[in-house]
Amino acid sequence: MKNNLKVLLIEDDMIEVMKLNRVVASLNLKYNIVEANNGEEALKILEEKDELPDIILLDLNMPKINGMEFLSIIKKEERLRHIPAIILTTSNNQKDLLECYKLGIAGYVLKPLKYEEYVSKIEKLLAYWSINELKQI
Amino acid sequence: MSQDQIDMLKRALAREKAARKQAENILEDKAAELYEAKQKLEKSYSELEALLDKTDSQLQGVFENIVDAYVIIDLKGYILKMNDAAVDLLGFENAKVNFNLLKMAAPEETHRVTESFQSLLKNGSITDFYLNIITKKNEAKLVHVNASVIYDKGIPVAAQGIVRDITIAKQNEEQLIESENRLSTLILNLDSGVLLEDENRQIALTNKMFCELFNIPISPDLMIGQDCSNAVEQSKNLFVNPEKFVSKINNILNSRTIVLGDELKMQDGKILERDYIPIFKNNEYKGHLWSYRDVTLKRKYSQSLEAQKQKYSSIIANMNLGLVEVGNDDKILMINQSFTEMSGYSEKELIGKKGNELFLTKENAETIETKDLKRRKGESHSYELKVKNKEGLVRHWLISGAPNYNLNGEVVGSIGVHLDITDLKSLQIQKEKLLNQLEKSNDELQEYAHIVSHDLKSPLRSIDALVNWIKEDNKDKLDAASMQNFELIETTLEKMEQLISDVLLYSSMGSKTLEKENVDLNSVVDELQKILFIPEHISINILNSLPKIKGDKTKLQQLFQNLISNAVKFNNKEQGIIEIDVLDKKSFYQFSIKDNGIGIEKKYHDKIFKIFHSLNKSKESTGIGLSIVKKIIDLYKGEIWIDSEADKGTTFHFTIKK
Repeated sequence: MKNNLKVLLIEDDMIEVMKLNRVVASLNLKYNIVEANNGEEALKILEEKDELPDIILLDLNMPKINGMEFLSIIKKEERLRHIPAIILTTSNNQKDLLECYKLGIAGYVLKPLKYEEYVSKIEKLLAYWSINELKQI
Repeated sequence: MSQDQIDMLKRALAREKAARKQAENILEDKAAELYEAKQKLEKSYSELEALLDKTDSQLQGVFENIVDAYVIIDLKGYILKMNDAAVDLLGFENAKVNFNLLKMAAPEETHRVTESFQSLLKNGSITDFYLNIITKKNEAKLVHVNASVIYDKGIPVAAQGIVRDITIAKQNEEQLIESENRLSTLILNLDSGVLLEDENRQIALTNKMFCELFNIPISPDLMIGQDCSNAVEQSKNLFVNPEKFVSKINNILNSRTIVLGDELKMQDGKILERDYIPIFKNNEYKGHLWSYRDVTLKRKYSQSLEAQKQKYSSIIANMNLGLVEVGNDDKILMINQSFTEMSGYSEKELIGKKGNELFLTKENAETIETKDLKRRKGESHSYELKVKNKEGLVRHWLISGAPNYNLNGEVVGSIGVHLDITDLKSLQIQKEKLLNQLEKSNDELQEYAHIVSHDLKSPLRSIDALVNWIKEDNKDKLDAASMQNFELIETTLEKMEQLISDVLLYSSMGSKTLEKENVDLNSVVDELQKILFIPEHISINILNSLPKIKGDKTKLQQLFQNLISNAVKFNNKEQGIIEIDVLDKKSFYQFSIKDNGIGIEKKYHDKIFKIFHSLNKSKESTGIGLSIVKKIIDLYKGEIWIDSEADKGTTFHFTIKK
């Protein structure tokens, strides 16, 4: 791996953030996790940072700007629209799913109840995006 | 020969000579007499001839100038003389011909002509003799001949005749007779009763129908000449108002002016129409013509027509529908009472006005124009229209318009039937609003269910993660009991998760409209057998091939999934058998899913379809599965019921409409 995969995690639930961090920590691989507690914060991060994330992990149900709104904003930005956004949510609402794919997402992952399953899913997700060729800045 | 003999002979000769001499003298005398007589005769003949010539030339002058053909023939029939008219008539080139006139008779006439000629010679004249001739120019002609014999000193010497060509006259006469016959047949058989009276009130002509109408039992011919003065008195009782009948006739007869279309009612119910036409010739009254027509049927017809008209006009006037008739220029021609009530305008205010200008708002003007065009093409149609009435209030009218035709089939306008549907419309609008609201709140509810389930599920995930972390981080510090408790927490979490999912599923069941596609239930069940966990000891048998039905595949899958997984779940036998079958009823399919599992006690049979009514407090059972099944079957207008005995097994029966 040339560089560590830079992941922007947009998640308002503290424990969810902890879960992802713990999974990443338990894997002996280096991932750069940048956290944003909501869409607004994420947009600020994307504006300020010179370095854009490789992928975005996005929760749908969030206060202020929710996941869907955030998605439609970055898809309008020339600078940001190419970044693969993967939805990470508990909602298997087909309407949401369809809407997200319409807006343009790179994946839709349901958070499982069981922690072990969660670990396995996140592991696969990160591994998958690590082997992808992503846009170099 | 002797002398004696010679002398004797000489004497005889001398005697003979003397006798001859005497005879010659006598002859000479006679010849002289004869000559004299002849001279006399010649003289008188020339006198006669001169006389004849004189008369002749006199006659010639007369006959040459008469119009009719004049011919003189000799006693054998040869033409001696004729005038120009005769030359023309007989078809000669000129008068100088040598032709036997008798030969001009048509072949079939020869015999008659010969006879007539004999009779002419015998009697001296013949008059009004008609015969057919073939002229020299080969024309067939009918001629009329008057002829007489010419005598000279009592001796017939020639015959003269005047010949008239009556071919055309005869034809005309025949035609006249023919048309007279036709006319009289026509009059005789006329369906009007005709009575022609002369100035003395005697019948000149009448016909069958007249006799029929007045119950006169004799033939019309026998009526001719009868006096009509009393007829009125005799027939007056045939009429409803006899005195009026009589006085009216007297009036008419006195005034001698044309009276047409008098209506008379008869006792037997007949209605007659009578015309009176006086006849004047050179301003002199010559009689009059009565004609009677039986108009009973016509009257009855027009009466019933009138009755129908009355009926329909009262319907039109009293019906709740507004009726408007407009011309091609859109101007109102006729309206009924209801329409004045509907519109608020009086009849006076509407007639002659254009409906469009009075009632239409701008937005509607165009619709109406296209409708009008259609109507002119002969199309009927109905449409809704938003209008404003006289008070300016908005009303909704349902209008059914149809073109109005005249007797020649031309569109002369249209007739519109108007129904005020404002109340109905506002109900409809209200209903639409409510439906929209309902849909919206349904959507909102759906959305809400998703959010709630998300919000409820998220903490479960957190708890599970946290429990796992505690377990991981304190692996060595926790005793077995604590570890078991942690596992119980996790099981409870799973149950909670399942409950939330099922509630969400149940709540979303009726929200979406049913997708209609052809679903092969065989493949649905096949797929389910792959997805569901089916233990080794349980076998699923499909007894009859399942049908293809129109429906939503996901919902049908949920239906079978719940029932099959129940059958699998609640099986306590060593050899579990699940049988799926279908019966094709006329309008629906009846399915059955039979198991040999734990069965359900009778007292629970009604309860099992109610939500959250799980009979088994097990990890997998939330009590929602059968409620979902029931809900899906309700969507397909089917029914579900069960046959079951505790510990023997359960059969679920359900129907789905085709």
